Amino acid sequence: MLKIRCDLVEKILVSSIRDSIYKNGFKNAIIGVSGGLDSAVVLALCKKALGVSHIFALLLPYRVCAPESLEHGKLACESCKVAYEVIDISPAVDAYFDRFPAENRLQIGNKCARERMSVLYDFSVRKKALVAGTSNKSELLVGYSTQFGDSAAAFLPIGDLYKTQVFELARYLGIPEAIIAKKPSADLWPGQTDEGEIGISYHDLDLILHLMIDKRWDEGEIVERGFALAIVRRIKKMIVASQFKRTMPPVCKLHARTVGIDFRYLRDWNK
Amino acid sequence: MKVRAIQFSPALGNIEKNLGAHISHISQAIRDARELVVFPELSISGYQLKDLAGDIALKKDGPEWREMEKLSKKIDIIIGAPLEEEAGLIYNAALYFSRGKWRHTHRKVQLPNYGMFEERMIFKPGEEFRTFKIGAMTAGILICREILFPMLAYLYFIQKTDLLIGISNSPQRGIGSDGISSFQLWETMGYVFSQFYHQNYLFVNRVGFEDGIGFGGGSFLARAGQGIVQKAKYVDEDVLDAEIKPADVRRARLSSNYLRDEQPELVLRELRRILHA
Repeated sequence: MLKIRCDLVEKILVSSIRDSIYKNGFKNAIIGVSGGLDSAVVLALCKKALGVSHIFALLLPYRVCAPESLEHGKLACESCKVAYEVIDISPAVDAYFDRFPAENRLQIGNKCARERMSVLYDFSVRKKALVAGTSNKSELLVGYSTQFGDSAAAFLPIGDLYKTQVFELARYLGIPEAIIAKKPSADLWPGQTDEGEIGISYHDLDLILHLMIDKRWDEGEIVERGFALAIVRRIKKMIVASQFKRTMPPVCKLHARTVGIDFRYLRDWNK
Repeated sequence: MKVRAIQFSPALGNIEKNLGAHISHISQAIRDARELVVFPELSISGYQLKDLAGDIALKKDGPEWREMEKLSKKIDIIIGAPLEEEAGLIYNAALYFSRGKWRHTHRKVQLPNYGMFEERMIFKPGEEFRTFKIGAMTAGILICREILFPMLAYLYFIQKTDLLIGISNSPQRGIGSDGISSFQLWETMGYVFSQFYHQNYLFVNRVGFEDGIGFGGGSFLARAGQGIVQKAKYVDEDVLDAEIKPADVRRARLSSNYLRDEQPELVLRELRRILHA
């Protein structure tokens, strides 16, 4: 049900990346490469869209990240022959928590995500590049991201592909098997996996999301398909609870036309 | 008749830039001895106008049309524009220029207003499906969603239309293992109009992106009785040159005579009975 025609998806996404970059007067994209699947796919797509000399990758490890993340990040860049730089964010993150100790590991994870964002945006100026985001549709819908951290980007090339579809596209694009084969992880702390944290396999999550969102099936129909009611409800709850991550903050309306409410123009205004 | 479909990407709200692109494409079509050049829906403005509609809608007496009228001394032209015919009343319109004059306007009746579409927030709906002459041919225009209502093409069918022109801004959507489902939608209708209404049908769709929404292209010609015979690229800019032959309409009608056997009076009676019962 979630199978995609990869050649057509590649063509559309490559075309959309070119549009996002060139329409805004840029030639270059910068990508935070984590060693995971999503950033490896975005890197490969951006390279096809813009050419290898217009892509710059940053690897931004924190000291507790799995060593294989850095290795796989380098592998993703080297297999695409894309220039990259490794910047250890540990000194910056630790300097902060030395002054204000963390109360839980999620706080550290979020701080790391926002530190990476901060470095990426600074380098986007140095490299005259736009930040290509790596969020996929599964994580956008359940809110599995750090607000203003990994979710911050100029555009999201794979934001309408479920994770299982990103896997399919990755195989089509020839992403190294070591990156495809490992368990997806935000790598915010040792041993963390996406599926462990979300509490469901991507295979099931994506199918439920697809039926619920794209096909507009109701709860009962999804349960009839063989999913537990509790799981379906939990996913629905995650979607509702994370809506704030998918919209701009509310502006209190006072004037006749208000930003974010009825001042209605696209980003592509006049482009 | 030698026609050319321009499958291009207008800049959102940038009339000056788009007008320049139109003039350039039209001038090239004149040099290439084409006789009719057709642009997609809202080709002069882009699609997702939102509040831009009020900022940039074109007036009936705007200077843009003088340029089009001048060019139309050498070639027939169909373009799409947000047309403010009376103060504050904007139509999603298709305009036909020929022999130095603006000769026909079709105002979109079926304005999609669901999901990503919000045309009813912007445009006033049109009310008519009138034919007009392109050379010796009787022509009719449908704009985007109108194509998906076969009863609307039927109104042109019973006016003995030879050439049906569909202009569109169709976002590509519905990815699956077979490709994009929205492409199949337009092509299915192309087959229907060609086979059952026996019209030559030219479909002209735009390409490019507006805030992530991509428009799929895939413009095509369906010949009367023959289905789709020529197709432009999906996704990418392209130009489709085709030859429209009125003889195809005659041949198709003679083969199965749907037009001769159609009973519009019966349809009208039944509509009255159903609606007024």
